Amino acid sequence: MDEEPERTKRWEGGYERTWEVLKEDESGSLKATVEEILFQSKRKRVTESHGQVRLGMMRHLHLVVDCSRSMEDQDLKPNRLTASLKLIETFVEEYFDQNPISQLGIITTKNKRAEKLTDLAGNPKKHIVALKKAVDTVCLGEPSLYNSLHLAIQTLKHMPGHTSREILVILSSLTTCDPANICELIKTLKSLKVRVSVIGLSAEVRVCTVLTRETGGSYHVILDESHFKELLMLHVKPPPASSSSECSLIRMGFPQHIIASLTDQEAKPSFSMSHLDSSSGADLSLGGYFCPQCHAKYTELPVECKVCGLTLVSAPHLARSFHHLFPLQAFTESPTEQLQKDRFCQACQGELKDKSIFSCPSCCSVFCVECDLFIHDSLHCCPCCIHNQSNP
Amino acid sequence: MLNIEGLLVHFPYDYIYPEQYSYMLELKRTLDAKGHGVLEMPSGTGKTISLLSLIVAYQKVFPLEVSKLIYCSRTVPEIEKVVEELRKLMEYYSKQTGESNNFLALALSSRKNLCIHPELMHANIVVYSYHYLLDPKIADLVSKELTKKSVVVFDEAHNIDNVCIDSMSVNISRRTLDRCQTNVETLQNTIQKIKETDATKLKMEYRRLVEGLKEANVARETDVYLSNPVLPDEILQEAVPGTIRTAEHFVGFLKRFLEYLKSRLRVHHVVQESTPQFLKDIFDKVCIDRKPLRFCAERLRSLLRTLEIADIADFSAVTLISNFATLVSTYSQGFTIIIEPFEDRTPTIANPVLHFSCMDPSIAIKPVFQRFQSVIITSGTLSPLDIYPRILDFRPVTMASFTMTLARTCLCPLIVGRGNDQVALSSKFETREDFAVIRNYGSLLQEMSAIVPDGIVAFFTSYMYMENIVAAWYEQGILENIQRNKLIFIETPDAAETSMALEKYQEACENGRGAILLSVARGKVSEGIDFVHHFGRAVIMFGVPYVYTQSRILKARLEYLRDQFQIRENDFLTFDAMRHAAQCVGRVIRGKTDYGLMIFADKRYARADKRGKLPRWIQEHISDGSLNLTVDEAVQLSKHFLRQMAQPFRQEDQLGLSLLTLEQLESEEMLKKISQIAHQT
Repeated sequence: MDEEPERTKRWEGGYERTWEVLKEDESGSLKATVEEILFQSKRKRVTESHGQVRLGMMRHLHLVVDCSRSMEDQDLKPNRLTASLKLIETFVEEYFDQNPISQLGIITTKNKRAEKLTDLAGNPKKHIVALKKAVDTVCLGEPSLYNSLHLAIQTLKHMPGHTSREILVILSSLTTCDPANICELIKTLKSLKVRVSVIGLSAEVRVCTVLTRETGGSYHVILDESHFKELLMLHVKPPPASSSSECSLIRMGFPQHIIASLTDQEAKPSFSMSHLDSSSGADLSLGGYFCPQCHAKYTELPVECKVCGLTLVSAPHLARSFHHLFPLQAFTESPTEQLQKDRFCQACQGELKDKSIFSCPSCCSVFCVECDLFIHDSLHCCPCCIHNQSNP
Repeated sequence: MLNIEGLLVHFPYDYIYPEQYSYMLELKRTLDAKGHGVLEMPSGTGKTISLLSLIVAYQKVFPLEVSKLIYCSRTVPEIEKVVEELRKLMEYYSKQTGESNNFLALALSSRKNLCIHPELMHANIVVYSYHYLLDPKIADLVSKELTKKSVVVFDEAHNIDNVCIDSMSVNISRRTLDRCQTNVETLQNTIQKIKETDATKLKMEYRRLVEGLKEANVARETDVYLSNPVLPDEILQEAVPGTIRTAEHFVGFLKRFLEYLKSRLRVHHVVQESTPQFLKDIFDKVCIDRKPLRFCAERLRSLLRTLEIADIADFSAVTLISNFATLVSTYSQGFTIIIEPFEDRTPTIANPVLHFSCMDPSIAIKPVFQRFQSVIITSGTLSPLDIYPRILDFRPVTMASFTMTLARTCLCPLIVGRGNDQVALSSKFETREDFAVIRNYGSLLQEMSAIVPDGIVAFFTSYMYMENIVAAWYEQGILENIQRNKLIFIETPDAAETSMALEKYQEACENGRGAILLSVARGKVSEGIDFVHHFGRAVIMFGVPYVYTQSRILKARLEYLRDQFQIRENDFLTFDAMRHAAQCVGRVIRGKTDYGLMIFADKRYARADKRGKLPRWIQEHISDGSLNLTVDEAVQLSKHFLRQMAQPFRQEDQLGLSLLTLEQLESEEMLKKISQIAHQT
């Protein structure tokens, strides 16, 4: 118990019934706890994701954030809105980190209306600035699921067929105020192949279940803040591309970074093209990325060229998406008793106490459950295999 | 294919709940002992299919021991559900055994499907409504030829005593008497006509009546028919008395009786008397003897048959009166007569009603227990089990209550006893008008409406109480606050209005707006409507639904229960209130994948005498910590519960715990666990 950091101060937390946690353990297997079920599903997710599937690497995701009255609830600290926005910030960063050639837009909904916070764009900075500003929004009224989805469709439907069209709704309220029958809209979403996923902050709402089931998305409800983060991060990974989506070759430019030193007489400072539409002050800079097709200058990648429309990326960007396509193999699970060697996890060096252990199929190193999850979720490569490679 | 203590049972599903196995075990023991049983198992755990598959298997293996299954349920949709399950079972049988089915099953649901074909005698399974067996008027037509070696099942039987009582009670208003008057006149005219055209017919009838009801007597002695409580034993041995033997005399007799009843209805104050008192009075006033009265029902039936009147429905009024005459002269105990000049609701408008009310449910059901070798009474809520054998006057060989095995705790009963300001919450009479209680009830509903998704059903103890509270909430602005979260619908005594409200309620649950249904315990919603999944994520019981104790009929019944069965008034009232509360809260859990909150908003629920009367499957989830919660605490617990329940839950999670394959079922360990599910009393 001591190892666990206290999440909140005792007096800030809700009514905690610590005695009941104890009770659940002793009542035997008849009353399996929800946690156990959750853990099983987590393991399963890891194993499931290791099929060779085509993934939608170019994603268009609209994030819908509920800003209704219920976001003022203080069950997440300091309140739901602030906590969610903070998590969304990290999500946005992570999203662009792992999906460099994708785009994202943010929509907020409150008081029965939906508004665009940011347009679909490939630049994380703009979104993060907007999110930081949004912390001060006044939460009022009910959200409108219909209006938000409708607004999202308006831009998503023009996206090319080889890219994914996704909507992720962060819904805190348990009610939605809609101008028309949402079932019709769900049909439209389905026909447009828009995937809608929902993360609920309070409880399971029927209409979201239907919405996500029909459109092929996922529906989760958070347990606490860390679970919320986990659920958000699930959406960082690109979804499998539907078999009916088009295949096409995409022209991409790989501009070289030209660094001009101040001492170089030839170099002339110039504006970046991406500053054209941003109101923030344009900076003059010496070097930059020059579009291989039209030589327009950009200071940041990835970007779509304003002049010729070419997608400009750097090779590391594409490489970062690589592990999605060739994921690390699932480790094989076996009972701990079968292990002859020392019962220590190769990664964390902790003793293996759980019922089962996990071993890498290529180097046969053994890991505990936690490390297995960590390796597959974050590292994407087996540390022992890498170790062996570097020390032949 | 299951092996239940040596009996091979075909079970048409791949998986089985442990409690189903346990249920079948108990059922088999009951059938083996050729006795009666009381079995309580939560709804949504497949009671019907367990019953059907076990009894059908039993019939196949021991055709001489059990030749027929009579399955009684309450409403038409329930009967249809049974038939559907039965069909599935039969298909499975023919697939397994490979031979065509020689089983005959028959369902009698409504009048338009009514079948009184002699085939009924040969059917192996009969599915119909309670009334076909319990109501003496219908039972005589439909059920009297059922063989002794039948198994009778009363499903959803938690209200069976009331059904019994209703089937033996008669209410006579002025309108009934008027209609009866016209009936008698029609009879007279028809007799006149027949006399002119076909006098021999009446003579034949007369001769038959002199012979007496020998036929019926022989039949009863040889045990061919189910005895009819309206037709007591003694009168079968006697001939119809001379005073009413001819048709004209009988009509004259009816007229006199009618006039007497009319005079009795001209009262200005409430009269309550016993049946002997009534008989004495009728003898003094109009010189009607007890004997002809007792033959009245039989005599009328004979007359209607002789006159060949096709449409019996037209003569319902006179049939009612004649049944009343027979009952009142037959039973000196167990009945009471109350004449009220006006209804309680409208004490100024004269609307005299004569209530001839049965106080002893065992009278109507006695022939059933006597005749059939096994009678099974079952429902989701029968607690406390021991009271049913007492009020229905029979000796069961098995009494068992089954719990629900759950892979996750999907029901969350909470007893809210205090408001946030520590005011005790209760619907008891003294605090009924209390402003603070009403306000706290309001804040409970408001807080719940903000955290419970989709549908909430709230039950009040009566329409009147609901009206008062809702009006107060409106004034305090609570309703407005609630409506920000959910729409509000209200059940009314009007059936059409209520079904409209229900439809809209379901629509609002479906499209994400969310809704609250305010309804009344003992109302239509509390008895017959299921709130599956999102249609009911929480049910709130405002107060303890005690029956209206000022009713004279109830008072008479309580007195009778105390004198005859040694059941104290309070025990019965509490039992009755708790079975209705259990019915109400049970509406939200309709299966193992379903989940719901059950909120008991009255501090009296925390007391052991109330709590102990809830079904075991609810009781075992009430922890000591959730006995006397404030509104805030309840909200916190509910939030936590709803989040937990929203986590993905698949069938695999249930397997091995609350859902078993055949192999899992046969393991030693599981069988040991199963033996703990049934709780014998």
